[in-house]
Order: sequence, then C-alpha cells, then structure tokens
Amino acid sequence: MLLALSSPMLSHYLLTGAVLFVLGLVGFISRRNMIQMFLCTEMMFQGVVVTLVAFSAFHGNVTGQTFVIFVLTIAAAEAALALGLVVLLFRHRRTLDASAWSALNG
Amino acid sequence: MPTIADKLAGLWPEIVMLLGAVACLAAGLSASARTRRLTPWIAGGTMALAWIFALWTGIDADHPLGLGGVVTYVKCLVLVLGLVLLLVCAGVPEGLKQTAAAEGARFDPGLSVRGEFYFFFLLSITGVMLTAGATDLVWLFLALELTSLPTYVMIAMTRDRTVAHESAVKYFFLGALSAAMFLYGFALIYGATGFTEFGPIRDAVAVSSETGLSDPSPLMLMGIVLSVLGLCFKVAAVPMHVYTADVYQGAATPVTAFLAVVPKVAGFAALIMVLHLLGLDRLPEPVLYLLGAIGVLTMTVGNVLAFVQTNLKRVMAYSSVANSGYMMLGLMAGLGVPGNALGNGPAAVLFFLLAYGFGSIGAFAVIAALAAQRSPDGADHTDATGVADDLEYDDLAGLWWRSPVLGGVMLVSMLTLVGMPPLSGFMGKFFLIGGVLNAGFYGLVIVLVINSAISAGYYLRIAMLTFFGESSSAPAVILPEGRRGPRVVGAVIAGIAGLLIGGLPGNSVVRNAREAFEPVPAPASAEPETVQAAADESTASAPAVARSQAAGLADAVPTP
Amino acid sequence: MFGAVGVLLLMAVSFGVGNIVLTHLLGPSRKGEVKGTVYESGMNPIGSARRRFNVRFYIVAMTFLLFDVEIVFFYPWAATFTKLGGPEGDGLAGMFLVRMLFFLLTSVIAFTYAWRKGVFRYD
Repeated sequence: MLLALSSPMLSHYLLTGAVLFVLGLVGFISRRNMIQMFLCTEMMFQGVVVTLVAFSAFHGNVTGQTFVIFVLTIAAAEAALALGLVVLLFRHRRTLDASAWSALNG
Repeated sequence: MPTIADKLAGLWPEIVMLLGAVACLAAGLSASARTRRLTPWIAGGTMALAWIFALWTGIDADHPLGLGGVVTYVKCLVLVLGLVLLLVCAGVPEGLKQTAAAEGARFDPGLSVRGEFYFFFLLSITGVMLTAGATDLVWLFLALELTSLPTYVMIAMTRDRTVAHESAVKYFFLGALSAAMFLYGFALIYGATGFTEFGPIRDAVAVSSETGLSDPSPLMLMGIVLSVLGLCFKVAAVPMHVYTADVYQGAATPVTAFLAVVPKVAGFAALIMVLHLLGLDRLPEPVLYLLGAIGVLTMTVGNVLAFVQTNLKRVMAYSSVANSGYMMLGLMAGLGVPGNALGNGPAAVLFFLLAYGFGSIGAFAVIAALAAQRSPDGADHTDATGVADDLEYDDLAGLWWRSPVLGGVMLVSMLTLVGMPPLSGFMGKFFLIGGVLNAGFYGLVIVLVINSAISAGYYLRIAMLTFFGESSSAPAVILPEGRRGPRVVGAVIAGIAGLLIGGLPGNSVVRNAREAFEPVPAPASAEPETVQAAADESTASAPAVARSQAAGLADAVPTP
Repeated sequence: MFGAVGVLLLMAVSFGVGNIVLTHLLGPSRKGEVKGTVYESGMNPIGSARRRFNVRFYIVAMTFLLFDVEIVFFYPWAATFTKLGGPEGDGLAGMFLVRMLFFLLTSVIAFTYAWRKGVFRYD
C-alpha cells in the first residue's frame, strides 16, 4: 500500500520535491510580480527534478537523471525566453506588475 | 534493441523539417533581397517534402503502444493544416514596419524577423510531429516544449503592440506552469514504473494489475492525472483555458489561427499517447471521471462565454475551448469494435481535429483578410501591419454581398463548426457522439447535444450576418491585395476542404483515422526469421524486466 | 488505496499553503523607506533601479545562459567517453564522437545565427 513511501529515504526526497512543487504553484498563483512568477515556475521545475533524481536512485537506473539534464535545458531555454519577453514588455509598460495589465483582462 | 539508424529511419519527415527550418533562418537573413523573398516558399516546399516523406516512411509496425498508425496520421494531418496555415500566415512578417525598416537601403539583419518567423513556424510543426512520434516520456516532454516555445515568440514578434507582448507573456507563464505540471506527472509515471519508455511502462502497468496490487498503482494514476491536467493547457481545456481569449485576441490574427490549431493537435496527440499507457479501452474510473468532468466543463464554459462575447476573435477563442471539450469526451469513449469507425472515440477525435482545424482556419483567415474601420474607444487599434483586426459582429454585416468568396468561406466555416449535415463538422460530431454512445455515457451525449445547440447560437449569428446583416456603422473593409498576402487563398482552401471531407473524401479520412488504432500487419521482410527472433527477444526482455521490477516493488510493500 | 500518495499530497499542499497563511498571520508588516529600497547585497544603492540598462546586458545574459547549458551535456559525455573506446566499449567511441559533433554543429548554427544578428557587435 505504501508504494511510494516504503523506503524512508525515498519518502523524504519525494516530500521535498512535492513541497517545492506546491510552493512554486502557490507562489505562482499568489504573486503578481512577473519575475517572482517566473521564479515560482522554476521552483516547480526544481521540485520535479528532485522527484526524478529520488526515483532514479530508488529504481537504480539513470533514466531519471538523464531526464533531469533535459529538464534543466528546457528550464534554461524558458529562462532566456522569459527574460526576453519580460524585457520587451517592461520597455513598453515600465512595470512588471501583472495586475497592471490594462489591455487584456479576463 | 533498435539501432540509431532504425530510429532515424522513422524520423525522416522531422529531419527534413529541421533542415528546412534552418534553411528558412538562413534565407531570411541572406544579404540578397531575392533570397529573402524566397523564405515562405522554402517553408512551404519543406512542409510538402516532409509530407511526402511521412507517407513514404509509412506506418511504424513496431510502435511500442501499437499506435504507429496514429503517428503517421497526425504527422500528415499537421502538415496539411500547416500548409494551409502557411498561406494564412505568409505575409505577416513581411508586413511589419520593422521589416520595412530592416529592408531599407542597407539590409539590417538585427531588425529583420522574417527568417525567424518561418523558422519558428516550422519548428512548432516539427514539435507536433515529434510529439506524435514520441516513444519515451523524455522525448514527449521535449517535443511538447518544442511545440510551445516557438509560439510564444511568434505572438510577441508579429505585432508591435503592447497587447501582443502582454498576451505572449501571459501565454508563456501559463505554458511554463502547465509544462511543470505535466512534467511532474511524467516524473510520477517514471516513479511508479521505473521506465520512461512507453513499451516497458505499459508492460509494467499490465503486470501491476496482474499481481493484484491495484489497477493501476495510485502513483501511476496520479501521474496520468497530472499529465492530463498539464496537457489541458495545450488543448485549451478547462482548468488551463483562462489564457485563451486574451491570447487569441492579442496575437495577430494569422498567428491566432496557428495557435488555435497547432498546439491543439499536439495536445490531443500527447493525450492519446499518455492515456494509451493505461489502455484507451480500459481507462480506470478516476481517469474517466476526470476526462468527463474536463470535457463537460470545457464545452459548457467555452460555449457560454463565446455566447456573450462581441469581439469575433474572442468568440472564436471560446469556440476553440468548446471544441476541445467535445474532443475530450471522445478520448474516454474507448476504441470500440475493430473495423467499425462508429464507436471508436479516439479515431473520432483524430477526424474531428481535421474538421475543426479547417473550420477554424477558414474563420480566422477571413477575419485576417478584413480590417475594421471604426475605432470604438478612440484608441489606435491598428498594429504594425496597419490592420485593425478587433472585429465585432457588425463588421461582418453583408460580407457576402461585398465579397462572395470571403462570405462563402465564413459561411462554410461556421456551418462546419456547428456541425451541419453535409459538412465535415457534422461527420466529426456524428462519430464523436457515436463513440460516446457506444461507451454508454448517455448523460454526456445529452450535454454534448445541448452544447451544440448553444454553439449554434453564435455560429449561426455570424453566418446570418454575412448575408442579411445591415451595419449601423461602417463595416470592415477587405484588405487590399498587397497587404493581405495569400490569406484569401488559404481561406478558400480551408473552406473547400471543410466542404469536401464532409463528403466522399471524408470516408477515406475516417477509415484512415479508424485504421490508425488497429494493429498493423508487420511488413514483409527479406529475413523474416531474424526479424522475428529480434522481435521475440525485445518483447520477451521488456516485460521480464518490468515483471521483476514490479515483483521487487511488491516485496517492498508491507501488506496492510 | 490512495493512502501514501494522499499523505504526500496533503503534506506538500499544507506546507505550501500553510507557509503563506502563517507569514500573513505571524510576520511583522514593516513598510518603510529602508525596507522599500533596492537590495544591493548590503551596499547602499546608488541611483534608481528604474535606470535603463543597455539592452546588450540582457542579450549577453541570454546568450550566456543558452551556451552555458550545453556544458551540462558535455560533462556526462566526457565522463563516459574514455570507457567507450576500450574492449568492453564495443567500439562505440566513434559513434558517440559523431553524435557529440552533431550536437556541437547545432550549437555552431546557433552561434552563427547570433553573429549574423549582431549580438556580438559591441560598438
């Protein structure tokens, strides 16, 4: 029954990963600053990374760790894209507050 | 163990697309103006060539989930839609003020975005093709990101207005959130089974139900649920639909057409793959409830919100949400009886994607070929291409009498989306409803029919307006030849295709969609014995590993 | 049946939401001039953070970020490459060298593109 939490070490790592993920999710929903929102999505990715590495150690294969490398790559690509988009928007609007978006609402 | 050469053999269409994309990038930045003007032609030629390659490489009989047919179908589907979308989108980067500045007396590569636009266009479509062809969770994740990342840039760069940048940022943030979500789902699937390859995952799931642990394990189920929720962003389904109207309105209309179709195809291809890890025929109850709830909420929210909008692009955005809801129900309907298309839900989804795609592209192409004359709040609604595309209902008044071509396409698109009998949308809905009925979800069929009735309210309003509408203010004007590019051609092709695949040609498409889910007879080989031996070895080893893995897990689990 | 996953989920969600709620309830709410100033690693900030940076900074940062990540792929490759050449490596070294060269080629294409766009022009 305790499939996921049978190994004490695994459960700790999984909990860390899940907490990181949920903290990121909660932060993403509650924050309004775009940089903070972006950091929150990065935190969610890192939660996934911790989970993947934990499972990788549990299953004794490196597939999870390989996955992590690709996740990091995508995270970096998204970071570059986010930086570009946010700079573009900031130069037009002079604010990073997502609630200040006037042109689009709802 | 397939060698790298075997793996690459099935990826020729994608390789062609990537080479073509790089060629577009190079041509767009070329020093010669003539080469630069060739860029859209290179993009079109690449997609046509990739289509030929996709048909030529044929169906992969060794697909780990037995979905080799779906892979080929989706690749061809997205290439066909991509060719029509290219007609609609060509001319977008060329019309930008920025491009005009870059193409001055001396070409400024720093300012030009033409090469990048077609580069990202092709990359995104390549992403869909790779999504369909994925046989591994890592691959699926990368392919889905390859589909999405270019679209964020396409929104931001094709319109020099803050509203476009805002919608790009909004789309990006929700996209990142959804990516994290389905990635967490993938991580849990990996955790539950110990594999990222589809074949072993499927075997492990089968084994875990054999050993009577649970069917399937809660961790696996959690992973599937999170993956489905994350993928809802790609198809614009309910928990992740909030961006749709804003982003579709903010983007330049041709790009909106792209957004309404391409990520949706990727999303449904990925959903079919992920759900088939559990078996589309025997989805466990929690997943069925989830899909049903998403489907019902999505279509209801989409249709109700579309009904109250006045901006045409927002109406079409919510219509796109609603259509995702219909297709969600198709996913839960199961595969039905082999040889009978009626009752095969996922096959209906594949067909519906085509019908919806042509209907949507037609409607957006007509909107893209028009420009509003008035500016209601005094603000300048024209973008860098000088087009005001914030069209309202009134702008379409009497379009038929001014341009029978555009009016006709709009009419056909709307009737397709409503699901009028002779058109492709009717066949799509017919097969969807057939599938859902076959699976015994009568309540859901009633919801679907009621929703279709609501949707008829706004679709038919648009259709009626193009004929009988009389505008109080000045209706939208048709863009002059030079500014609209080949949009009208794209609109006409989408309209004709929407008409045709409702008729006889549609039957063959339906047959293809149905056969996509049926096991492919192994191709005749020169050395049947060695192939057979290799196949035996690979199929024998994978479940053995899965079995030992599951047994190990079973030992580790304390019995309550 | 969902015991373990449920516990995990519950703990994660309660930790996430709990923290937000607790900071609101327990945390002191200081608003002042010092609190509102820009954090500059303990230095007193000079000038306004609203001052516009040259856009080159961002472009260089982005380019660095992308090329930086490639090292992540090179490292595992370099760590295992010597083992591939030996007798137990089945002569895979050549194939893996070609794969890495192909990967390098994609980076070279990206580099050429950035060059053509004038990213490395600092005048």
